[in-house]
Amino acid sequence: MSIYLTEEQELIGKNAQGFAKENLDPIVVELDHTGNYPADVVKKMAEQDFMGLFLPAEFGGAEAGYVSFVEVIENLSRSCPAAASIVVNHSLAVYAIQRWGTAAQKKEYLPSLASGKTLGAFAIFENGPTPGVGPDALMAVKKAEGWVLNGTKTYVRNAGKADVYVVLACSDPAAGAKALTAFIVSSKAAGLTVGEPKETMGLKGCPVADLNFENVMLAETAVLGAVTEGPELVAETLAVAAIAEAAQTVGIGQAAVEHAAAYSKSRVQFGRPIATLQAIQTLLAETATDCHMARLGIRYAAELLDNGEPFQVEAAMVKQFLARLHSKMLLDTVQVEGGFGYSEFMPLPRLFRDIAGTTLLDAPADFPDKTIAAALLA
Amino acid sequence: MSILTAEQKQIQQTTREFVAKHIIPFAAQYDKSGEFHPYLLDAARESKIFAMAVPKEYGGLNYSALTQAVVLEEWGYGCGGMGTTLAASVLSMDSVLVAGNDEQKKRYFAPMVRGEIGSFGLTEPGAGSDAGSAKTTAVKTGDEYVINGTKCWITNGGYSEVFVIYALTDPTKGVKGLSAFIVEKGRPGFTIGTVDHKLGIRSSNTVELLFKDVHIPASNLLGKEGEGMKTAMKTLDLARPAIAALALGIAQRALDECVKHLQKRFPDPKVQPGQTLQFKLADMRIEIEAAREMLHYTMSLRDASVPFSVESAIAKTFCGDLAMKVTSEAVQLMGSYGYTSGISKLMRDAKIMQIYEGTNQIQRLVISRAVLASAPAAAQKAGK
Repeated sequence: MSIYLTEEQELIGKNAQGFAKENLDPIVVELDHTGNYPADVVKKMAEQDFMGLFLPAEFGGAEAGYVSFVEVIENLSRSCPAAASIVVNHSLAVYAIQRWGTAAQKKEYLPSLASGKTLGAFAIFENGPTPGVGPDALMAVKKAEGWVLNGTKTYVRNAGKADVYVVLACSDPAAGAKALTAFIVSSKAAGLTVGEPKETMGLKGCPVADLNFENVMLAETAVLGAVTEGPELVAETLAVAAIAEAAQTVGIGQAAVEHAAAYSKSRVQFGRPIATLQAIQTLLAETATDCHMARLGIRYAAELLDNGEPFQVEAAMVKQFLARLHSKMLLDTVQVEGGFGYSEFMPLPRLFRDIAGTTLLDAPADFPDKTIAAALLA
Repeated sequence: MSILTAEQKQIQQTTREFVAKHIIPFAAQYDKSGEFHPYLLDAARESKIFAMAVPKEYGGLNYSALTQAVVLEEWGYGCGGMGTTLAASVLSMDSVLVAGNDEQKKRYFAPMVRGEIGSFGLTEPGAGSDAGSAKTTAVKTGDEYVINGTKCWITNGGYSEVFVIYALTDPTKGVKGLSAFIVEKGRPGFTIGTVDHKLGIRSSNTVELLFKDVHIPASNLLGKEGEGMKTAMKTLDLARPAIAALALGIAQRALDECVKHLQKRFPDPKVQPGQTLQFKLADMRIEIEAAREMLHYTMSLRDASVPFSVESAIAKTFCGDLAMKVTSEAVQLMGSYGYTSGISKLMRDAKIMQIYEGTNQIQRLVISRAVLASAPAAAQKAGK
């Protein structure tokens, strides 16, 4: 692992920070209140090449790699984690298509996804213990002219706003979750409807809803990767999600600790700034340390990805690390700010609500431990 | 540690029924709107529950400290915000219990017996943990005091009939110039400022109190001038376990919701949650049990008139930290379901349990001072 960011990576991160301060800081409070999808901001992010950051130039991408990608995600999250969430989920669909798509699929979908002309979404959750085995499982049945999909995907981010969905369906009822197959589905597909928006604790503005499939007919060319290759596709894409979401968590933690540090310098109790109290310093120091260590882990996993090396275990470790520490970051920083920190006119309550979402929304909770343990026990 | 009596179990059962009928069904709605549940006081009136801590001779229910903890746990279980309404009202009258004379008790407790609520006003924008740097003043003129200043984050403020307000009768003396007063609603110059929106306990009313030349009779002074800090500290000793009880209720609720969720998530007896989840539930149950026993022990000390100040701080800290831990684990356990459902409210509500009525850092100061104070004595003993 290179110890330092390259000049280019650092510049991309700094630009993203500048962009976020200028364009996201002013809207973040309203976004949190209304939960309305920030279409203007998404457009501006696309203009910055954030929607196709790691894609090769031949598909209209910035070809900046995954280290740059996580730098951007962290910096966007410092200002507005919900906006970053939209980019992250979009990027998972982009990743899956560029990794498993045929030449024709790449040509059809990637350029418009990269330019932000279209928005992507990645849908794996179902209302059952695992995809493919619950009562509303999304089932794909092979017909002469292609596939017919019936069932429901739940907690789909970007649902209702995305143009291109990468969805996992069970193509063999007897095999259940082992027979997942990925499909590329257009938002305009007949029989596809989006459920009521789900109200979330945080990350408001990043849409979350169910996708309902009723006899959705897909051509054979909608299959992404090989039939029943879904489990591998899910595992790898979730590993990318783990890195990106970890970058969101760290961005939020960093924003929170910087805010709490500034607050502790200005808050005077017992005749001195509370920043001089050891107990406060410990809360700040622990949070800053957790952010730093996680950031190193994220960059390392992203660099493995950039180098085309196996990265899933390292990605899972970052997720595992933050699953233990993410809530502590915000609980401790709110604690530094006490009654002020608990009040909604201060930013930490929003970050408190946002940070939980960054470790919950895309991946099943047992994903990191399973991945890491499997590698150890192999 | 005492085991609940038949009467306490009966009260617990009645409270559970009240909470199931009047609190749980409304909790989500008022959490969302951030408004006080106006029907709550009417619903509670007949039971006189807001007078649970009022002694019998003043017409109250005269519940023991332990019984109060049982009731507050159930209210916290239903809604941390509405539980806060009850706990804060009891907190306000604790000051009158501590320092009031018979006439003041009669006056202050009468509204509680009628089912009205009260507020405790100590915190100021510049005086949170450091209650001693309060700036609100009470100047004696003839047989009146004139109060000027601002109190913030005052629970129930917009709905209370009576208030206990801390103000400096002698600003030159700092903490030693602090005094406690009864202030009734509607006194000219006494108004409500900002209504606060909060991360959690959103169904409780939290406001700023503004005092501009507010005249009150000298007979509203609780105890003597300059005794305010002492009264406040004694009041908080009494009141802290109430927060522990609310926190405990929130933690128990989180555990119960996890169990409900898992039963739904794993309907097939052949596919059951793995050991990670099983152990998590067991850990939650273990810690909740320990917390409840600790709280009941603390309350038993108080009921037996044994000093319990340190135990009170320990119970508040342990239960508050536990509620935070259990609720955030519950959200994590339920994943996206937790993040998009009412469960996240438990996590938001739990956070304040570590902050109000003395942050858990302040509790740790109280506890560590007691630990250090007793250490040399113990060493001396060992030396002999």
